[in-house]
Amino acid sequence: MAEVTLDGVRKLFGSVTAVEDFTLSIGNGEFVVFVGPSGCGKSTTLRMLAGLEDVSSGSISIDGRAVNNIHPKDRDIAMVFQNYALYPHLNVYDNMSFGLRAKRLPRSEIESRTHDAAEILGLGDLLKRRPGELSGGQKQRVAMGRAIVRQPKVFLFDEPLSNLDAKLRHKMRAEMKLLHQRVQTTTVYVTHDQVEAMTLADRIVIMNEGRIEQVGTPDEVYKQPASQFVASFIGSPAMNFATGMISNSSRQTILETHSGVDIGLASSHVVQGRQVHLGFRPEHMQLADVAKPPKGHISISGDITVVEPMGHETVLTCDGGFGEIVGKYEGDKHFRPGESVYFHIRTDRLHYFDLETGIRI
Amino acid sequence: MANFWNKFTIKQKLAITAWLFLAVPLVFYITIRFYPTFEAFYVSTLKWNLLGAKKAIGMKNYIKIFADEDFWLVLWNTIKYALVGVPVSMLIAFVIAYWLNEIDFGHDFIRAMYFIPFLTTAVAMAWVWRWFYQPLPIGYFNTMLSWFGIPQQPFLRSVTQGLYSIMAPAVWAGLGFQIVIFIAGIRAIPRSYFEAAEIDGAGRRQILREITLPALKPTIIFLTVVSTIGFLRIFDQVYTMSADSAGGPLNSTKPLVLMIYEFAFDEFKLGRASALTVILFLILLVVSLVQLWLMRKQK
Repeated sequence: MAEVTLDGVRKLFGSVTAVEDFTLSIGNGEFVVFVGPSGCGKSTTLRMLAGLEDVSSGSISIDGRAVNNIHPKDRDIAMVFQNYALYPHLNVYDNMSFGLRAKRLPRSEIESRTHDAAEILGLGDLLKRRPGELSGGQKQRVAMGRAIVRQPKVFLFDEPLSNLDAKLRHKMRAEMKLLHQRVQTTTVYVTHDQVEAMTLADRIVIMNEGRIEQVGTPDEVYKQPASQFVASFIGSPAMNFATGMISNSSRQTILETHSGVDIGLASSHVVQGRQVHLGFRPEHMQLADVAKPPKGHISISGDITVVEPMGHETVLTCDGGFGEIVGKYEGDKHFRPGESVYFHIRTDRLHYFDLETGIRI
Repeated sequence: MANFWNKFTIKQKLAITAWLFLAVPLVFYITIRFYPTFEAFYVSTLKWNLLGAKKAIGMKNYIKIFADEDFWLVLWNTIKYALVGVPVSMLIAFVIAYWLNEIDFGHDFIRAMYFIPFLTTAVAMAWVWRWFYQPLPIGYFNTMLSWFGIPQQPFLRSVTQGLYSIMAPAVWAGLGFQIVIFIAGIRAIPRSYFEAAEIDGAGRRQILREITLPALKPTIIFLTVVSTIGFLRIFDQVYTMSADSAGGPLNSTKPLVLMIYEFAFDEFKLGRASALTVILFLILLVVSLVQLWLMRKQK
């Protein structure tokens, strides 16, 4: 177990900047997830941490030791790859013990460590099998096993679940969490899936175009997104936005949207005249029968364009006049495209972002 | 017409179209390649000088061949070409491919340099090599040996060195092909295997032994078979480089194909030559079957 520090880390590929000024301190035993769209630099950062890519500038240290010029094998890390990177001609046991044999540990220790890891991951019966004879979930477990037996200071995961189908991904996610609770090793995990990030992480690092947008607990990034990018990235369905100017009209504050529709805001901490993105999450929109909102709420109306029943809830896509809005509700009420609906939203669940910078106001 | 065509199922239509396209190469192969091959089996039971009457003599050609001391020498020569040439060329090709794969600068240029001999006429190259092997002051090799005070070597004129002197340009000519196939094989191994191994702390040797070589097994089998067949059919280099174009000195460099050529076109013993061809055919067949068997075991 160890602390990991990245200080002003930067990565250039030719003239292209892949990662810019990445500074982060990861605590002992912490589970940190890097999340972002593809090309945001999250995998590159992980690979620099692993030593598979050089650092252009800045420094990385593991357990207090600068590792910029340390070979991957001497960093005491273990990495799980997206395609598992299991050696096809070696059986499960030889795959898992590969790193221990590389270290030339005594045979008895290799055996006991490998069997322990196999036990933890429920691979006991599969040790003689080759990777080709395993299911996706089993391969995933072997890849994790190969990392566990090493007993490294840091685990690195590069999109480990993205090759699995949805059901299995859910299951492996839970297993991964259980595993971390058990071994308590510092973990850095890269994914493009915000659900994985939210469910697994102690802290999430949201990246966009090579930069950190926000670092925070799942709760923080969900409730207090630091930027419009984070707000739109975290949450599913994604947050709705209305773009316009805060202004005053007949005693109440309104958002004059750029498309001409006004949204009454009751009150707002944002100064008048400021251009903003107003954000609100689908799950915070309460279906209402009347336009007039109760105290402390705003009201949004829209014409339904698409109805998506999910069983336990229904997702409505509507034309709000200022743009598309997505809302959802639980219950048995049935709607058809073309009908009008009202949603009420608590004012403390509204998010304001600067139009220019996208930064939270 | 359209009505008639539509009577076939989609699958049948596809099959008919495919066979129409296959018809031309099929006719070509049957008349130009397969028919003469089978004809050789028949001719091998004849006594025939190409012009005179054909006389059926049964297995006599084979009996004569097996009783001929020269045949056994030539067969052993042929096997030596393959037995030494294949591993030596594969080893050199792999070492070059392995290191060539590690570099980016000049990679394409160097690979092209290695590939050029493969594209060059064997006869032209053999002539150049024949010149390399000449005694002082013409031959390069003997000139170089003289710089270090090493005694002159007879090379092509020696019964012990001749075969290997002829094998060298053959190995060299095939290297380009082998290197390109090896590089393709190495590059086809997912990068993450090497990265995972690197992080796991494996050294160059462990990665080579446990990842690269096993992953290259199909490549190695393929190249082994292709170059084995190549060396078993060696002819151009021997014909060009050996004394009197006869596999000399004292038949020490003569391979099977040259012997076939001599029987057929120097001595006009077409039956004997055909019998020898059949023997070579069987040897190559066995090599190919062993390959198929090894490849199947892979899966």
